[in-house]
This record gives sequence, structure tokens and C-alpha cells, in this order.
Amino acid sequence: MKFTHYLSALVPLALVLLFTGNTALAQDKARTKIPASSIQILAVQSNEVNLPIEFQLALYENLIEQMQKANKFQHVYRDGDTAAANATDLVILHSNVYGFTKGSEGKRQVTTVTGATQIKVHCLFTDKAGKSELAQDVTGNVRFIGGNLRATFDLAKKVAQIAVTNFQ
Amino acid sequence: MHEPDVQVGNSGPPLDEEKSNMKILRACTILLAAAVISMGVSSLAAPCLAQDANTGVAVSFADTKQVLGLEGLKHNVTGTLFASNGSLVFTKGKKKVVVPAASIQEVLTGQDTERAIGGTVGTLTMFAPYGGGRFLSLFRTKIDTLSIEYLDPSGGIHGAIFTLARGNALSAKKALLSQGARTSAPVEVEAQAQAKPKEKKQ
Repeated sequence: MKFTHYLSALVPLALVLLFTGNTALAQDKARTKIPASSIQILAVQSNEVNLPIEFQLALYENLIEQMQKANKFQHVYRDGDTAAANATDLVILHSNVYGFTKGSEGKRQVTTVTGATQIKVHCLFTDKAGKSELAQDVTGNVRFIGGNLRATFDLAKKVAQIAVTNFQ
Repeated sequence: MHEPDVQVGNSGPPLDEEKSNMKILRACTILLAAAVISMGVSSLAAPCLAQDANTGVAVSFADTKQVLGLEGLKHNVTGTLFASNGSLVFTKGKKKVVVPAASIQEVLTGQDTERAIGGTVGTLTMFAPYGGGRFLSLFRTKIDTLSIEYLDPSGGIHGAIFTLARGNALSAKKALLSQGARTSAPVEVEAQAQAKPKEKKQ
């Protein structure tokens, strides 16, 4: 008897969970993707923190490389590229670094738990007119294997993933 | 004449095995010693192959690692960096990337360290027993970094990062500036900034 009571209590709970899960999925599917055929990646800004030039350049180059690899956009334009002016459905990615912790590769390898490098970037996708279409904070880390610049690679991969999930 | 040899041969296989084992051991020891010596020598060798940066004469830096940024090259490729004829040239085997010095908007240098034993072998040392990999990662080589920002013909900004042996980045920067590159931080300022930490230590 106890067992049947237990089961009868669990079944409605399971049903509720099932339906809420389905509606969440439906909402995800219903989220409209932003139409864009090309993207221009602007040079990385770091007004709030002092980001070394090699990190700025590595982040910029990795962003371009990962966007190209994602194969989501027909064209990936660099900052200053004159051809971007004629592009239709152009999205512009502005990246502003607001947090940076330079770790140490040596410390990471010796201690495993210290010496992580972390970069926090505010990513803003706008259209040509400057209207904001999507904004998100992204963090790139390197915690164990790799040099400090690998944090920029991690961050670029995450940004490319955001572009893939949000743009058509 | 050969009969005794045959007899010895019959009782000989254990001896032969011992001999071959000894040979292998010797070969291994020699190889290990050679590897250690070559590692030491390579870190001591000055990779800068010359010359005068102030006169605009070609300057080359062997064993320069292109970390990323040059079109058509993979990441972390080691080659030779030249500053000559008004351009920066990076060669790796048959591959050659030329960046006109006039298109270089920024040249900055820095200092860093890297593992003495890097790459795949360095990663594999993590699995060495008794923390051997961690111990090996304590051995680090001091390096200089050279970062450049340049424009392509359509106006797009590119960035490239190189690592050179310690003490070569400033001369590479001088050479690039003499070829027509631009910078926001003069060589003297960067040299002073890099010398400051040393003074503090003293």
C-alpha cells in the first residue's frame, strides 16, 4: 500500500516535470534567430583594464579564425576592411575587455590549482546603424594545459558558439 | 679453423644476448647524452644572425616562432624572421610571408618565459611518474615577444605575434622601424621599461 501511495505521488510530479521541460524546449525553439549573412569583427578594446598587446591581438585573430571555422557567415570581415561597407545583413562585433588576470603557466603546471589566466569580455553585436542586437559577457580561461594566450582561444570559441546559436 | 667458433656458438646465445643488451644500453646512454647536450647548446646559441639595425641593412633572426597571425601559416611555426627591402619577411621552409613595413602600424615588444621542454613531448611529461612532469616544467627559457599590427591592402587590421630568444626583440623592432614601420612606444622607452624590473631585483 505504501508503495502504491509513493508511486501515485511521484507520477504527477514526473508529469509536471515533463511538461515544464517540454515548454522550456519549445521556448528555446521559438527564440527567433537574428538574420545575418556577414560579420565584421572590430579590434578588441580594453578601456577598463590594461590588457597586454599580445593578448589583444591574439583575441582579435582567434575571434576571426573561430568565426571562419564556425562557417555561419558568408563573410568574416576584419576591422577597417572597406569591403564591409557594401555588405548586406552585416553584424558588427564589438569586444570590450573588462577583466583580466594574467596567470603563470609554470604555476599551473606545478600546482594544478593556481596560476589560471582569465579574460572577461563584454561582447556586443550590433547592426550597421549601431543598434544593439545581442549583448553577452563571456569569460575565457586557461586552467591547466597551455600558455597564457590559450585563454583568448577559449574565449573566441565561446563567442563563435554564441554567434552560431543566435544568428541565422 | 672455424670449428671452435661453431662450438662457442652453440654455448653462446646467452652471451650474445648480453652483448646486444649492453649495446642497446650504450646506445641509449649516448643518445640521452646527445639530447641533453643539444638542448643545452641550442639554448646557449645566439639565434640572431647579424647585423646592423640602424643602417637599414637586412637583419635576420633565426629560430623565431610565429605564434599566430600571419596568413597562410599555422600557429606556433618556427622559422626565420627578416627585416629587409622595406618589409618583414618570415620564412619557414618553402613558405614565405611578406608584410610591407610601411603597412605595420604598431610594433611592441615584451618579455615572457616558456617551458624548456615544450610541445607534445612537454605535454606527455605530465604522465611521468612521481611528479616528474611538474619538476620538468620548472625549467623555463626566457623569451622576448614581438607583436605587430599591420593593414592588408583592403584596410583590414591584422595582428601577428612572434617569440624570439631573449634580447632580440628590441633589435628586431629597431630593424623594422628602420624599414618604415611605425610604433607608439619608442625603442628607448621600451628598453628602459624592460630594464626596470632587473634594477628592482638588484
